[in-house]
Amino acid sequence: MTNPLQMESKTVLVTGASSGIGQSAAILLSQLGARVILTARNQERLRETLGAMEGEGHRLAPFDLGRVEEIPLWLRQLVQETGPLDGLVCSAGISSLRPLRMVDTAHAEEVMRINYHAAVALASTFCRKEVRRPESSVVLVASVAGLLGVAARSAYSGSKGALIAFARSAAVELAPAGVRINCVAPGYVKTEMHDSAMRELSPEKMEALVRATQPLGLGKPLDVAHAIAFLLSGASRWITGSVLAVDGGYTAQ
Amino acid sequence: MNKDAFYLKMDELLEAAAGTVQGSSALANLEDWNSLAVIGFIAMVDTEYGVSLPAKAILSCRTVDDLAALVAEAPRA
Repeated sequence: MTNPLQMESKTVLVTGASSGIGQSAAILLSQLGARVILTARNQERLRETLGAMEGEGHRLAPFDLGRVEEIPLWLRQLVQETGPLDGLVCSAGISSLRPLRMVDTAHAEEVMRINYHAAVALASTFCRKEVRRPESSVVLVASVAGLLGVAARSAYSGSKGALIAFARSAAVELAPAGVRINCVAPGYVKTEMHDSAMRELSPEKMEALVRATQPLGLGKPLDVAHAIAFLLSGASRWITGSVLAVDGGYTAQ
Repeated sequence: MNKDAFYLKMDELLEAAAGTVQGSSALANLEDWNSLAVIGFIAMVDTEYGVSLPAKAILSCRTVDDLAALVAEAPRA
């Protein structure tokens, strides 16, 4: 039987692969047969991800994506060693939970640098012919906060909304070249980033918030990883420039 | 920890005139001490004092000096 999500003989770069959604995506893609290149700052934690993966030929590529200006050269050199990529998953990101009055330029720029500019630099380098295969796919991990309003999330929302708008125009531009680019927009998912942000809410408030906003409750990283795998695979070959909400019904209300 | 400087930062957080917040001020009586201010407080102490505080501990505080003690006792990042 054919598996429309199969990723055999495909090479995919996953950023943010040391935790949360990126880690889950890397593991799932390996189970689907892909060769995965894992990127994050922390090599030890990338090793933990690698230890949970299946198959052979995976590779660690630790890098600090905050060094945005160095991304093009880093990625081009990396691909000289790995061969061209079939897919790119931009899952590295930082959370920001603070009242708008406290969002100064330095904070807004830091959030944009990691959440937006790094993804733009990665996608811009990925679309070069020597970096990717003719039929390839980029998945950007945005957020429901990029689709609707959430208090104390303005800087974060801005960065995620920017990703969504970027993906649409890039998708139109890159379609003739065979490159698709889509976003997933996760709702509240149980990840370390989420746990760290939600330390700022009491457990009772957190539970009430999730119940009120997501009819299907709190998501798991694997719920989002499944959507990422779909958007990377040939099963989504006619989909580009889209935003797939993976949010337990958050945006349905 | 310089408590006077801490009180001034609380004034700034709550958009109150300098000198409004006192150590003995009850949080429940402070105008604008609400859930958004709690989030702002967490961001402020992270930036200014390098400490990461859970909301639960903050919500258990009754006075501004309780908050000051929480910050003073928290491990620095």
